[in-house]
Amino acid sequence: MNKWLIPSLAALALLNGCASQTRSNIPVVDSGSRVSNGERVSANRSNTYRAPVQAQTPAQAQSIQEDSGVTVMVPGGANASAAPISTFTPPISTSQAPISTAPVNQAPVNNTYTPPAATGSTYNMPSSAPTGIPSASSGGLSADEQLDGPVLALLTTAQQQQSTGDLNGASSSLERAQRVAPREPQVLYKLAQVRLAQGDAPQAEQLARRGLTYANGRASLQASLWGLIAQAREKQGDAAGAALARQKANG
Amino acid sequence: MTRSRTSKKSPKPANSRLRSLLGWALKLSLVGLVILACFAVYLDSIVQEKFSGKRWTIPAKVYARPLELFVGQKLSRDDFLIELDALGYRRESVANGPGAAAVNGNNVDLNTRGFQFYEGADPAQQIHVRFSGDYVADLTAANGSKLAVARLEPLMIGGLYPKNLEDRILIKLDQAPPYLLDTLVTVEDRDFYHHFGVSPKSIARAFWVNASAGQMRQGGSTLTQQLVKNFYLTNERSLTRKLTEAMMAVLLEIHYSKQEILEAYLNEVFVGQDGQRAVHGFGLASQYFFSQPLSELKLHQVALLVGLVKGPSYYNPRRNPERALERRNLVLDLLEQQGVATAEAVAAAKKMPLGVTKTGSLADSSFPDFLDLVKRQLRQDYRDEDLTEEGLRIFTSFDPILQMKSEAAVRESFAKMAGRKGSDEMETAMVVTNPETGEVQALIGSRQAGFAGFNRALDAVRPIGSLVKPAIYLTALERPQQYTLTSWVPDEPFQVKGADGQIWKPQNFDHKAHGNIFLYQGLAHSYNLSSAKLGLDLGVPNVFKTLTKLGVTRDWPAFPSMLLGAGALTPIEVATMYQTIASGGFNTPLRGIRSVLTAEGEPLKRYPFQIQQRFDPGSIYLLQNAMQRVMREGTGKSVYNVLPGSLNLAGKSGTTNDSRDSWFAGFSQDLLAVVWMGRDDNGKTPFTGATGSLQIWTSFMKKADPLPLDMAMPDNVVQAWVNASTGQGTDASCPNAVQMPYIRGSEPQPGPTCGGPTAPAESVMDWVKGWLN
Repeated sequence: MNKWLIPSLAALALLNGCASQTRSNIPVVDSGSRVSNGERVSANRSNTYRAPVQAQTPAQAQSIQEDSGVTVMVPGGANASAAPISTFTPPISTSQAPISTAPVNQAPVNNTYTPPAATGSTYNMPSSAPTGIPSASSGGLSADEQLDGPVLALLTTAQQQQSTGDLNGASSSLERAQRVAPREPQVLYKLAQVRLAQGDAPQAEQLARRGLTYANGRASLQASLWGLIAQAREKQGDAAGAALARQKANG
Repeated sequence: MTRSRTSKKSPKPANSRLRSLLGWALKLSLVGLVILACFAVYLDSIVQEKFSGKRWTIPAKVYARPLELFVGQKLSRDDFLIELDALGYRRESVANGPGAAAVNGNNVDLNTRGFQFYEGADPAQQIHVRFSGDYVADLTAANGSKLAVARLEPLMIGGLYPKNLEDRILIKLDQAPPYLLDTLVTVEDRDFYHHFGVSPKSIARAFWVNASAGQMRQGGSTLTQQLVKNFYLTNERSLTRKLTEAMMAVLLEIHYSKQEILEAYLNEVFVGQDGQRAVHGFGLASQYFFSQPLSELKLHQVALLVGLVKGPSYYNPRRNPERALERRNLVLDLLEQQGVATAEAVAAAKKMPLGVTKTGSLADSSFPDFLDLVKRQLRQDYRDEDLTEEGLRIFTSFDPILQMKSEAAVRESFAKMAGRKGSDEMETAMVVTNPETGEVQALIGSRQAGFAGFNRALDAVRPIGSLVKPAIYLTALERPQQYTLTSWVPDEPFQVKGADGQIWKPQNFDHKAHGNIFLYQGLAHSYNLSSAKLGLDLGVPNVFKTLTKLGVTRDWPAFPSMLLGAGALTPIEVATMYQTIASGGFNTPLRGIRSVLTAEGEPLKRYPFQIQQRFDPGSIYLLQNAMQRVMREGTGKSVYNVLPGSLNLAGKSGTTNDSRDSWFAGFSQDLLAVVWMGRDDNGKTPFTGATGSLQIWTSFMKKADPLPLDMAMPDNVVQAWVNASTGQGTDASCPNAVQMPYIRGSEPQPGPTCGGPTAPAESVMDWVKGWLN
């Protein structure tokens, strides 16, 4: 019983959120972007930033409950209404400090309605600076999976190496790409593929899971990553986990 | 001998006596010949055995990471030039030939050297790099076409030497630069191509020169004899050795071609002593003196190296530059005289300075602490002999630019602290990693850079103090129904009875209680009372479970005092722990080695990127938020006196009792650094985590200029507006509203709006202004 519990627990922790995720209601598209002052203010003015988040909340909690009885990070729908805030005791001591109003960087993140291309509207950096992945180009990939520059070049090299059976070489090229663009989920996806081909299913799964943490708002890529996780779990003899991942991939 | 004595004794002999004597002589000489022949056969076997087998043992070479170049890469021109200098690129007005660079404002033209990497060979190529700000703006090939990505050859940072400390870089004859062979033959053995191993002509000339000068001026040894001497024989000076040498030289010439002998000579010749390490062969000598591959050397450098053969110590260009220059020019004159080089070439070469680098940049002592880490990791997989003899090539993640910056940060910070009581006895250690990949990029084991000794980064096991606290808060944040960042927790005095019956009564650093506070504030301000209480409520074993998941493998007793960091770790263990937090909850074994190639360039072993997800990204996101508040409003806030507000950082300070240990661990998006300061004798110091290690940390981050921390918001996290004083849900339009992240479902109910959007918009502007400045 325990053997089943752990993988499904881990799976749930991850799966969490993706089931209800559709292309239309992704409020946290490219949360990696730094937003300029102007956008911050205008987003705040519009006062519409919360709507999608709230709309999604019940569905999210629901889906988790359906998956299994195990409570993960997210409380069930019933609990959600019993907000922990009601248990807050008001401050007794006057010495206690209020939350600093200096925001931490995440603050503006959920205001972002800006498309990923706006990653560049930062303080002083060229658009491709942080990862070296300019976001728009033409290529054989679907619209939201375009790459160019160094990452594309290195993925191409890795592809060639993989096709000649040089998995170690491919792996090495992909890790090179990962150093150039550590947050590009496609690199992690390819790396996971190569690990799987090398027979290292546990690492393949882990790398795909890492890829998922960077793949917010990229539905087709998320599906591919889940598909890969399903394969990796099958190889590890985890049929239930694989089925769950397969479900995510098709959802 | 017998013969000569016999002949002397006999006067004009009778025929019969003469005949018998001759008979004896013949017999004796026959015996002598047989003995000589046997000896020759014996020598011959030695000569052949050593020459045909593996002639030299080659220490493993350790390389830094190759510097990658691509458009959009964050790399300043100055850092790039530092790398080029370390690699020994010549600065020329027009980059001409491998290893040359031409700098023109923000434009750098260079000819890379080409290199055999793990996944394949990069050819030497001409590239053009344009910098803009601190970024690579343009990268093109010689023909003007765009290059997606290019990399320089990696810097060699050291070797793994056997006990005899012999070192060399093997070269082939065709790698010899122009003039080298001719110069060598002209200076050392003009008859090389014509003699049979020994040169009676040279011996006669040497005899003549020495006799007329009345002292030993010139040796009559051929190159072959010199090779034999170095290769097979001891340094003993005797006639027998001289004779053996001559015989072996002749034997060598019988078996091997002039080319083979010359190539062996180039690799065997002794040209200098680098501390304990003998520098053998022109390949290594070229790196040692000029930081350049042999094939790139110009006439004046060739003349210097060849001149050195006569007396490596006497003509040492670093210690005796005048003598070396005189000797070099003498060699150049000789070349002109003998028609090897034209008068113009010689005149131009004589105008050149010696051109030796200040210190041997390949010296294994440059970055001993990082090499120590590499050696320890290698010893788990290889035998010592494999490492010191097989010429393995080891590729690491070491970043010389970051190492130099961390060394500078240590140096400058200590200079600033100088004069404060007790600062002289302070030691330090530092670990710098890439949080995305888990690769160690720089390592400092003592305050004295380049000093090989006690490697504190790996071996100093010290109590970590408040660095342990993130584990308490992470344990809490993994229970969103129970704890959020804005849960109220008491910061009040309390006491507990430990298992041993002792009363444990924690205290805050300022000896004050802070009443009811928000959960995150206990971490931000490193309050001991609230943190310890929280830890006890969660249960020490549960906090330990979190520590284990973070990568801490120590077996600590579950005492309450462990909650305030009584447990001891090494700086690199702390780096492992914080790495897991920095990489979104994925644990990665820290790596210093990427791959290993054989001497022939065949891939041998990879050390792949490996991760394991240990935490829900949501709780890590909340913890990172709290750790960013450490920097914005808590114990780490002094960083923003130095660093720009736009640079998001997360971290935690740590101080143990009486400031015996001063710690700071923190990270940006692409850089994680752990700094420890303290005394080796564990004495008291005047420095807390914030006044000690944080200073080094801040100075390093300023130099390294990393990317702002920006963890992607996980799906199960929502941002909610709360009242900064009450923690109750509110609306963005209300006064005192701040945004906090919550695990979905644990956020407070939203409050009503407070009228028009104008006022809050301003306040948002104010915050933004506040931390952009």
